[in-house]
Amino acid sequence: MEASRRDFISLVIGGLGAIGGLGALYSLVRVMLEPSEIAALGAKVEVDVSSIQPMQVRVTSWKGKTLFVIRLPKDFNAEGYQIKQGVLNSKGTTNYEILKGQEVFALVGVCTHLGCIPLWKPEGGVGGIDKPMFHCPCHGGLYTPYGDVIAGPPPRPLFIPPQKLVGDKLIVGEEGFIKELI
Amino acid sequence: MGLIDKIINWIDERARVSEVYRAQMIDYKVPKNLTFPYVFGVLALVTFAIQIISGMVLLLYYKPSIGSAFDSATYTIMGEIPFGWLFRHIHATGANFFMAIVYLHIFTGIYYNAYKRPRELVWIVGWLIYFVLILTALSGYLLPWGQLSYWGFIVTTEIPGSLGDAPILKSLFKAIAETIVLWMKGGYVVTDVTLGRVFGSHVLIYPLILLALIGIHLYLVRAAGISNPEGIDYDKKKNPEKFVPFHPYVTLKEGAYVMWYLAVFFFFVFFHISHFLPAENFEPANPLKTPPHIAPEWYLLGYYQVFRSIPDKFWGFVAFNALLILLLLLPFLDWSPIKSARRRPIFFVLFLAFMFASMGLTILGTMPPTPQNAMIGLILTAVVFGFFLALPILSIFEYGWHKVRGGEEQ
Amino acid sequence: MNAWGVIKTIIFGGSVLLFFFLLWFYNPFKEHEHYEVDKEVKAIIENPWKKTESGKTIAEEGRELFIANCASCHSLRYDGIYLTSVQNNPKWENIAKTFGRPVYRYGELYKDRFFVPKDVYESFAHEDLQSLKESLGQVPPDLSTMYLARGEGYLYQFILNPQKVIPGTTMPQIFNPEFDPQAKEKVAKIVAYMKSVNTPPPEEQSKRTVMGIVVIGYFILMGLLIWIYRHRLLKLLGYH
Repeated sequence: MEASRRDFISLVIGGLGAIGGLGALYSLVRVMLEPSEIAALGAKVEVDVSSIQPMQVRVTSWKGKTLFVIRLPKDFNAEGYQIKQGVLNSKGTTNYEILKGQEVFALVGVCTHLGCIPLWKPEGGVGGIDKPMFHCPCHGGLYTPYGDVIAGPPPRPLFIPPQKLVGDKLIVGEEGFIKELI
Repeated sequence: MGLIDKIINWIDERARVSEVYRAQMIDYKVPKNLTFPYVFGVLALVTFAIQIISGMVLLLYYKPSIGSAFDSATYTIMGEIPFGWLFRHIHATGANFFMAIVYLHIFTGIYYNAYKRPRELVWIVGWLIYFVLILTALSGYLLPWGQLSYWGFIVTTEIPGSLGDAPILKSLFKAIAETIVLWMKGGYVVTDVTLGRVFGSHVLIYPLILLALIGIHLYLVRAAGISNPEGIDYDKKKNPEKFVPFHPYVTLKEGAYVMWYLAVFFFFVFFHISHFLPAENFEPANPLKTPPHIAPEWYLLGYYQVFRSIPDKFWGFVAFNALLILLLLLPFLDWSPIKSARRRPIFFVLFLAFMFASMGLTILGTMPPTPQNAMIGLILTAVVFGFFLALPILSIFEYGWHKVRGGEEQ
Repeated sequence: MNAWGVIKTIIFGGSVLLFFFLLWFYNPFKEHEHYEVDKEVKAIIENPWKKTESGKTIAEEGRELFIANCASCHSLRYDGIYLTSVQNNPKWENIAKTFGRPVYRYGELYKDRFFVPKDVYESFAHEDLQSLKESLGQVPPDLSTMYLARGEGYLYQFILNPQKVIPGTTMPQIFNPEFDPQAKEKVAKIVAYMKSVNTPPPEEQSKRTVMGIVVIGYFILMGLLIWIYRHRLLKLLGYH
């Protein structure tokens, strides 16, 4: 019996053994690590915006974070907010520049200062301002309805998630008029 | 290949693995005539490893509380988690195969008298493994929280209550009985605390104890040397031709056996799980509804039948505990200097009777308790006890016979 | 091995195999109750994933029948079905969404059905369940796994005529073949639905079968290869 025949068999055994081991490893990895399909659900959220009244904010959640879905009235006057100078989003602009013209849009409802959830104040009334705004009760941050910072410690505007408007549904988490998290 | 050799050398310089390998695998010699049943010990070890790994996977998703136990096993693991069903099947098959292999291993040891000097300690530690294994199986079966899980547990924890039917010192025994039942059950009613305790025991406490015991068991086997099916411990120096190097003679043989064992194992995992995940246990536990037939799992049915066959509950309880003790004391009951059923025709016959009686008792345990079954059960119980009690008598005869033939220490 | 060795192998090997066959495959000494599905409707239960003329699968039709006829007393939580009185309670939707999660099984996500943990459901539905207990004597059980627990024959016979299978039960007969010519068909569809909740669909089923055959074949092959390798190695070393 040639040594080469023996070597061949031992090679086959080794190879099959490795394949078997990989197979077992595959099943172990999937059963122990794969995120459940339910997790995938959180990646996208659909909001029926037809029932949101003008000047109303619907609070829901997206990827585990609070989400504000806002409908502004058609004649909303966006001028007249004193936005804090130099407080810009990750694109280097104000949120207004990106969202102007949108009647319905979503913002991540987490204060960019230390993570509290701002309150929607459609009558205003904080800091001497009587226009609609978000007011963060923790440290007094104030935001315009577009999420730009008016006053307080927040270092940047509220985040704008990727979103897409399809008829009456706003789908947050999908590329649309906003392509990525800003 | 050069790279693999380099890696091995690097490790070897730091861990001296080559020396251990050479000593334990190649220079280590074992008898040439080891028979097939000698593989059961290795198969038990392999099954233990399978249970640990599959158990770890189940541990990630099982929830040990009365409200979520059943759903975590039946909804989450079986349906929501990818391959969850596979690992539950593996763990259920493994539990049953573990008990089966351990029984085969025990009977092999009895047949070849592998419990005799100098291996009594191997046997004692083995008995401890057997005992803890039964506790592990019992505790594990409660976890899925099905009807059989719950009621099997209730029945098992209430069996020590038969101590209360003692013929003497009734009040003392009753108090002991009630204490044991309360301790095992966790209260008068099985609560979340009970389930939690049973869960922790099953998942960590018993496995760690088993790990330690198995380690000691393997060390003792090596220390005393593996027994010879002939019952004669030959000297390696005087009879080198009777021995072979462990590797590759035994390792590759047992390696192949392990592969075929796994083929049978996975046949059950994929195509015949119905007896390891019984239908009745897919009904969630209902403390207000007793199922019509509750019995312990097959690996305890022998003892259960002994318990059932004896009309008096107290003596039934004593009897099956006595069986366990007799099993432990086997090396001291059978102290004849002659080893292995191959050289003891009377012992061979006794062993056959013992084996068939044990199997018979187990099968009887699956049947409903009719008077005829109880009568047969009583006879088989007598046979089983007869086996243990005949051994000291046989030993006296064999000792005398051995001395007459000028028997030396072998 | 000599002749005596062969005899011993047969005695020990044979008795061990017979022993485990009796325990794990078929035990004629044990009592076995056997219920059968009526022949005319057997095909309905065979493949619940088959589509009917309506365009829906048998299982989907069964689900609708279940909700219409059974859900007044029985929940089936694993497929997001709860007591009708609970489902109609406007407060339930929020509870289901907050404490439950969408039903997910065998790789399929059902976004509009919610699996709600038992404790949450039973505390929300406590009054409803209690009133059922008062009128029926016991709380009708959740049927999520009843197909696995009882089997299709039993389920079929029981739903068709509860008194025949459990005399004295308080479960009423919902489908009477004397007055409803489609009674047997409807019962079969409900059983088919319950089967679909507990059994993987045909694609998953065949995946598992293939997996099993590959794994078993793999181990048989590996054993053979190691055996042959050992045989040749030992011959070379002079041990055979």
